[in-house]
Amino acid sequence: MITLYDYELSGNCYKLRLMMSFLGIGYKTVPVDFYPGREHKSEWFLKLNPLGQLPVLEDDGLLLRDAQAILVYLASKYDPSNRWYPRDNPALLGEISQWLAFADGITGTASAARLHDGLFYELDIDAARVGAHRLFRILDEHLWFGEQEGRDWICSANHPTIADVACFPYVILSEEGGIPRQDYPAIRRWCDRVKRIKGFIVMSGVFPAGPAKAA
Amino acid sequence: MLEEARNRWHPIASTSDLPHRHVFHGQLMGREFAVWRADDGFVNVWENRCLHRGVRLSIGINDGRELKCQYHGWRYANRTAGCTYIPAHPADAPARTITNRTFPAVERYGLVWSAEEPIGEVPDIAGLAECDLLVLRAIPVNAPAGRVIERLKAHRFQPSGKLDAADGEISVEAAQEFSIALRSRYGGSETLAVFFVQPVDSNRSVIRGVLDHGVQGAGRIAVLRHHNERLSALRDLAEREAAAAPAPAPIEPVYERVSPELAELPELTTHGRKAALRVTVSKKWPAADGIAGFELRPVKGLLPTFHPGAHIDVHMPNGEIRQYSITNGPGETDRFVIGVKLERDSKGGSKCMHETVREGDVLAISEPRNNFPLRRDAVKTLFVAGGIGITPLLAMAQALKNQNLAYELHYFAQTEAQLAFPDRLEPLGNALKPHLGLSPEQTGAALRELLSSYKRDMHLYICGPGPMLEAARAVAAEQGWPETAVHFEYFKNTNMIDDSSSFQVALARSCVTLKVPAGKTILEAMREAGIDMPSSCEQGACGTCLATVIEGEPDHQDVYLSRSERESGTKIMTCVSRAKSARLVLDI
Repeated sequence: MITLYDYELSGNCYKLRLMMSFLGIGYKTVPVDFYPGREHKSEWFLKLNPLGQLPVLEDDGLLLRDAQAILVYLASKYDPSNRWYPRDNPALLGEISQWLAFADGITGTASAARLHDGLFYELDIDAARVGAHRLFRILDEHLWFGEQEGRDWICSANHPTIADVACFPYVILSEEGGIPRQDYPAIRRWCDRVKRIKGFIVMSGVFPAGPAKAA
Repeated sequence: MLEEARNRWHPIASTSDLPHRHVFHGQLMGREFAVWRADDGFVNVWENRCLHRGVRLSIGINDGRELKCQYHGWRYANRTAGCTYIPAHPADAPARTITNRTFPAVERYGLVWSAEEPIGEVPDIAGLAECDLLVLRAIPVNAPAGRVIERLKAHRFQPSGKLDAADGEISVEAAQEFSIALRSRYGGSETLAVFFVQPVDSNRSVIRGVLDHGVQGAGRIAVLRHHNERLSALRDLAEREAAAAPAPAPIEPVYERVSPELAELPELTTHGRKAALRVTVSKKWPAADGIAGFELRPVKGLLPTFHPGAHIDVHMPNGEIRQYSITNGPGETDRFVIGVKLERDSKGGSKCMHETVREGDVLAISEPRNNFPLRRDAVKTLFVAGGIGITPLLAMAQALKNQNLAYELHYFAQTEAQLAFPDRLEPLGNALKPHLGLSPEQTGAALRELLSSYKRDMHLYICGPGPMLEAARAVAAEQGWPETAVHFEYFKNTNMIDDSSSFQVALARSCVTLKVPAGKTILEAMREAGIDMPSSCEQGACGTCLATVIEGEPDHQDVYLSRSERESGTKIMTCVSRAKSARLVLDI
């Protein structure tokens, strides 16, 4: 049984819950009291992840940290369709890795702003917001041209990949860090599309989409 | 300047920003909009706040016919923006004053245009044809519109056919406060670009560019990228300038208490049976054997919001007044559709509708009233329709279908040709259960079978001829359906009205005591005393003239109240019911 060391309000933990829901695989969670308990810095947790960060996942004796890395693992092992992380398509794998790194950038900015506003972290909030807007502009432009070229997802495939899962949580939660998405209409449409993927689940602060129009 | 800007049309979105089942987040001069396209193509531009708790409707759910707020699920209708359902009050029809503010929307040049209080039409743009245009990616800029326009005056781009050539020659064709037209020429190629600058707020704008010619094939993306690059560079310059200048204060939009359209809606409470709406019969057709369908469209403005189960009074050319249920599905707000069965013993109502009223005629109707509201919190809803009783239930079934809720529509008729509105029945699929050509005994057996499966939180709605309705209510009671789960609407009151009693009515809130003599109704006595009361059918069937009894024993003669409501002695239909006691005190 997969074990997820989990915090309900963490976008990076949600990322993995979402992925496992898309893949239709079962798992159990061990709640970690991130706030206010700071349990991710406790002795027992640091043994699992010396970086003191969530999430951590345990499967078959394998212990993994880092949300993006865990996405790669889950999709490689548990996706018989081989679409979420297509192991035999080098160009697509390159694209996916590029956007996984971009997702880290979103975590460093939009997620940081949310920690500041929601959990009272002391950091340079203006820099975090400016950084997030810079990334959102790039993502919106990328998605807008994608729509023009008939592409619905972040990478050049006619189906979503783990890059979409990696970028989605802290984009959709950005308003909790004072970062509106009003200026990013293509991002807003892409969010609707992600919410309509079969198996989509929500977390606190993420609302479901209605059904798409029948073709 | 801003006063004038309020009266001017501005583009607020690209047409492509409004795919079906999406809600676009727009803003113009500080005022936020929720912009959404309904499945019928209508573009709604609404104030971006739910009337309940002020949550942004731009995060709501567009279900194609209604917009649902994410917070407490209030639903608002396409076009009218009237609230159609409040989940916390499942048994009630929402007050019709719960209507969001709407703004005009026009699609032109590949853009969606709106304005707070527009004067005139969306302007014609010289050089732009309606078709064959290329709409550029919109570029939001954190700078005032005026500064962006200034920058655009020195903007440079290449003609679509010569992207890689040396710099094209630019001429300013026209420049206004919020738009500028530039032409780029190079070696016989030329492209006209019109840039509209949408004033989002005092310090924010969006550049919306349109080229005079579309580009086919791979070149299209290259042209879009070329302009995106050039405009992004312009944006960066304008933003740097704006950041160096003191930021102007944000524009404070004025939130009106009630929109003018809503204020113009006829008053519901004080006019008895006056019909304040004028509609044109835009279509009349045989909706089934012996049933005429009528499509009624407003002579001007919008129709008021309706809820499933609502009816209207139709004032006929011969002076008769009849009630007809609205059969529309949710979000179908540009017309009312009613079905009228030709009654064999018609006293002039249905005969007049069938024989006299024609397409193009203007009729007076009342605003919709709903005394037969639909709950949407049942685990399963059963509808039992007899003949023309289908009409309110059809509206209800379409509403539940749209929300993907569980229901069955049992429709009793003699023949298949008598099933009304086949075009509306067909999409209901397997949820429609026709019962054709049954004798009264067979009908009873069918009712016993379909009502045998009562479970908690199921609800039953019945509408049909009196005897069938009585039978269905009796069977439901037998099979253990609680009265609170059984809802019904009679076409008419066939009880013999006994108006021989005389008594006193005290109106507690009006501080008036009236004598009601034999031969006169409470409603008539009140009207003579100048106390107006809404009414509709005036025969004890529709529920409009309901009053609360404070004291005294009512003599119920209506068919609207349920048995327990009658027995409680706290409600009375003032159009037919009377008093057994010498004195009745009403909460009026």
